[in-house]
Amino acid sequence: MKNINFTCPFCSLLCDDIQLTVNNNNFKQLNSNCPILAHSLKKKIKDQFACINGKKNNITKAITSLSSLLKKSKATLFAGMGTDIKGTKATLKIADKFKCIIDHFSGDSYVKNIKSIQEEGGFFLTLSELKNRSDTIIIIQLSNEELPRLFEKYIFSKKTINNLKKRNLVFIGNKVPQFIYKNKKKFNFDHIKLNSINLLNFISSLRNSIKSDISEIKEKKILSLLKLFKQTNYGSILWSIKELDNNISDLIVTEINLLIQDLNKFTRFAGLSIAGSEHITTVNEVMLWQTGFPIRTSFEQGFPVHDINQFSTKRLIDKKEIELVIWINSFNEKKIIINQKIKTVLIGIPSHPQKKDVDIFIPVGTPGLDHNSHLLRIDKVVSLPLKKIRNISLPSVDYVLNKAGEI
Amino acid sequence: MITKLENGRIYDPINKINGKIKDLFIKNGKIIDRPKRNEKISKIINLKTKIIMAGGIDIHSHIAGGKVNLARLLLPEEHRKHLYSSSNILRSGSGLGTCSSFHIGYKYAKLGYTAVFEPAVLPSNARSAIIEMSDIPLIDKGTYTVLSNDDFLLKLIQKKSNQKKINDYVAWIIQSTKSLGIKIVNPGGINAFKFNQRELDLDEKNKKYNITPRSILKVLTKSLIDLKAPHPIHVHGCNLGIPGNVKTTLKQINAVEGKPMHLTHIQYHSYNNEGDKKFSSGAGILAEKINKNKNITCDVGQIMFAQTVTASADTMSQYRNHHFAHPKKWICADIECDAGCGIVPFEYQDKNFVHSLQWAIGLELFLLIKDPWRIYLTTDHPNGAAFTAYPKLIKLLMDRSFRNNEFAKINKQAQKSSVLSNLKREYNLYDIAILTRAGPAKVLGLKNTGHLGVGANANITIYSEIEDKEKMFENPYMVIKDGEIVVKNGKIQKVLNGKFYTAQVDYDKNIEKEINIYFEEYLGRNFENFKIQNQELWDHGIETENIECDRNDY
Repeated sequence: MKNINFTCPFCSLLCDDIQLTVNNNNFKQLNSNCPILAHSLKKKIKDQFACINGKKNNITKAITSLSSLLKKSKATLFAGMGTDIKGTKATLKIADKFKCIIDHFSGDSYVKNIKSIQEEGGFFLTLSELKNRSDTIIIIQLSNEELPRLFEKYIFSKKTINNLKKRNLVFIGNKVPQFIYKNKKKFNFDHIKLNSINLLNFISSLRNSIKSDISEIKEKKILSLLKLFKQTNYGSILWSIKELDNNISDLIVTEINLLIQDLNKFTRFAGLSIAGSEHITTVNEVMLWQTGFPIRTSFEQGFPVHDINQFSTKRLIDKKEIELVIWINSFNEKKIIINQKIKTVLIGIPSHPQKKDVDIFIPVGTPGLDHNSHLLRIDKVVSLPLKKIRNISLPSVDYVLNKAGEI
Repeated sequence: MITKLENGRIYDPINKINGKIKDLFIKNGKIIDRPKRNEKISKIINLKTKIIMAGGIDIHSHIAGGKVNLARLLLPEEHRKHLYSSSNILRSGSGLGTCSSFHIGYKYAKLGYTAVFEPAVLPSNARSAIIEMSDIPLIDKGTYTVLSNDDFLLKLIQKKSNQKKINDYVAWIIQSTKSLGIKIVNPGGINAFKFNQRELDLDEKNKKYNITPRSILKVLTKSLIDLKAPHPIHVHGCNLGIPGNVKTTLKQINAVEGKPMHLTHIQYHSYNNEGDKKFSSGAGILAEKINKNKNITCDVGQIMFAQTVTASADTMSQYRNHHFAHPKKWICADIECDAGCGIVPFEYQDKNFVHSLQWAIGLELFLLIKDPWRIYLTTDHPNGAAFTAYPKLIKLLMDRSFRNNEFAKINKQAQKSSVLSNLKREYNLYDIAILTRAGPAKVLGLKNTGHLGVGANANITIYSEIEDKEKMFENPYMVIKDGEIVVKNGKIQKVLNGKFYTAQVDYDKNIEKEINIYFEEYLGRNFENFKIQNQELWDHGIETENIECDRNDY
């Protein structure tokens, strides 16, 4: 038994302050209560067989079968895309060669952020700016499900470069989550109760009111926020796209981005979108640099074509516009869509419950557990090296795809 | 295997060869004197009527990193205008100003460039920027890490830490981020903007740290000299784009008191504020100053008339300029207590007074700064223009009648405000070889590239001699990278990876204690993970070439 330092690959915070005890490939966290980490470390690898048509097979045969499906398919989608930098590079290489489409598990919500940026841009900040500068933090509809330690590490912490005393924290949303409620005494706390539909109107009104004479503003909630903005030296607005009404979330995000732009006319403000499950940030960044476009890009025409609606996984499967879907998830057991009329491959962790339901299952290891890796943090700027800590021979996503592309 | 290039006309300023017909021999990717008696020449390439230069070196071009990716995200419409199909050996891609990674390599190689330096890598973004650069094939690469706005350094200066301690920190940053040098960007200004200061002149104080840009400039300039770094401090000064900023630029030259300093994209820092529009050329006075101060080198950051996108770590300036965004959208970001970034799309128009004068100012600088060894050809890609505009820019420098015809097309009032049409100087091929190869190699401390002498890496560009210099430079006959033909007649023959240049520098390990505490307490990251290890680069297929810090001409 020994203790090791560990960089956690299971969410986009990439906490690198974790200590684990290691005992014969079993791990226990020593200094963190993160539920995602705890859940992820509990998973036991009972077997590591590949499956073809639900039956156990060896990995080499499964990769050969994947290769022949790829060659036969006239329309292939890479879905899920729970992988690291190398895995994304390998996917893009094969997608370019076999003229495939790429989407991600979080595509439906994440593209709303993308659309807003493509239309209006924005003013953003990274986590240490949030931690060290932000004397006012506006939280919009945020839970701690995606990044459980975000508040503990970057908002509740007391030691800051700017020597911040008691920060202002405003929660805008229906119900204050317990983890904020329990800590509200640490802040000058306020709650603006709103549901997602009223949120759009509220932020629009807030934005308009910035330009108005303050004496003419009657709405108390808006008035109190305006007063707060005037006292703020450096404010930040955080939102979780997944928690917003998906029908109007792009409009809400655009209003937030425009509000931040307006606030910067007299003070400093910046925003951070909390959207990064299954490392969509990493996948999106690699796609941008290698192809010029974010997720939901097709290579069917020999060059990249990006369309946030056309290349949605759900739409492509529902409309049967693809012949083959290759799901990738090297981090967890998230449910995948299986349509019996579309050939389905899963490149996933060995404990995935749907491994026998797909045409081909190829087991892979997890970046940072079973092989060295690089991932990008939620704010797109910081990337971390992750090191192999487990000794079981599971291939990586890039190994599987590079092999499949070579056959 | 030995290759002989025979009968070519060679322009190799480092070895003082000016248009002499001479044979070159290549063995194992290097240039050799001549084969030994018992060695067989495997391949002879007859280059009669051809011009030979070393591969081009771009000292300042934004080819990777978070800011470039943000620009790609912001402008899908620009990428849709430039789509590239895959082929047996090439990957697909898109874009021009923020071209996707593989095609940056393909395009540079096709222009005869074999080394390009990304000049603005933030410390916190270094790892992913370098991994991104591993997807830029065919060219050697390197980076300069941005310091001068990071809270750790500003605190050291505020506390009046001794120069040795600052040198240790600078060396630690170079070593940890695997860079070739250090770039200053708007010293203290990006940090001051986080405290809502909107401008910061050379002697104004940053609100938080109560220190001036001058003090930052002085300590960092000294630091690189003390460390004998390959490249002197690379400076994007205060007040970028502000009319009248040439006065600040002159003061900056005085501030370093004769010490070596590279001023980058000086076109954006050469504005006076005279005339009806309070915007005029400061090129004449700046050129005069640079001519007198032999310690100063510069690159121009020429603008060319087209749609582009400006991408910079200078959040303060980019925010100030966001009103000019075309199309009307922009991104800024405050980044990790390091610095920031700003993305503002921009269309330079020849009928616009300011844009026209910016164009003329850049060319005035090229023509008025006398020593070609101290001025290098850049467009600050993509800020002034995409690097694909270099052939046209070379023609503007080499062909006065073409230049004057182009000058006649720009905004009339700008024409009246510029002396450009009176400048008779025309660059020759030897000068161009200095501007685009020999000069950058020398100032970057690269001894094995940028020339065609014995022992140099066989990075060679061969041009057909054509009267129209734009045509000549946009389509080299052949490009050889590390001894292999990678481009012939405008087509890529082979794709290989370039090297990655890093400076090797020592520091006193004691500095790590303080940095470790800073990382733990303020950044919430483990400082050991900040340090990029060689193994990580090798895992991504990056071959590093270490440059020793032994510069003895400072």
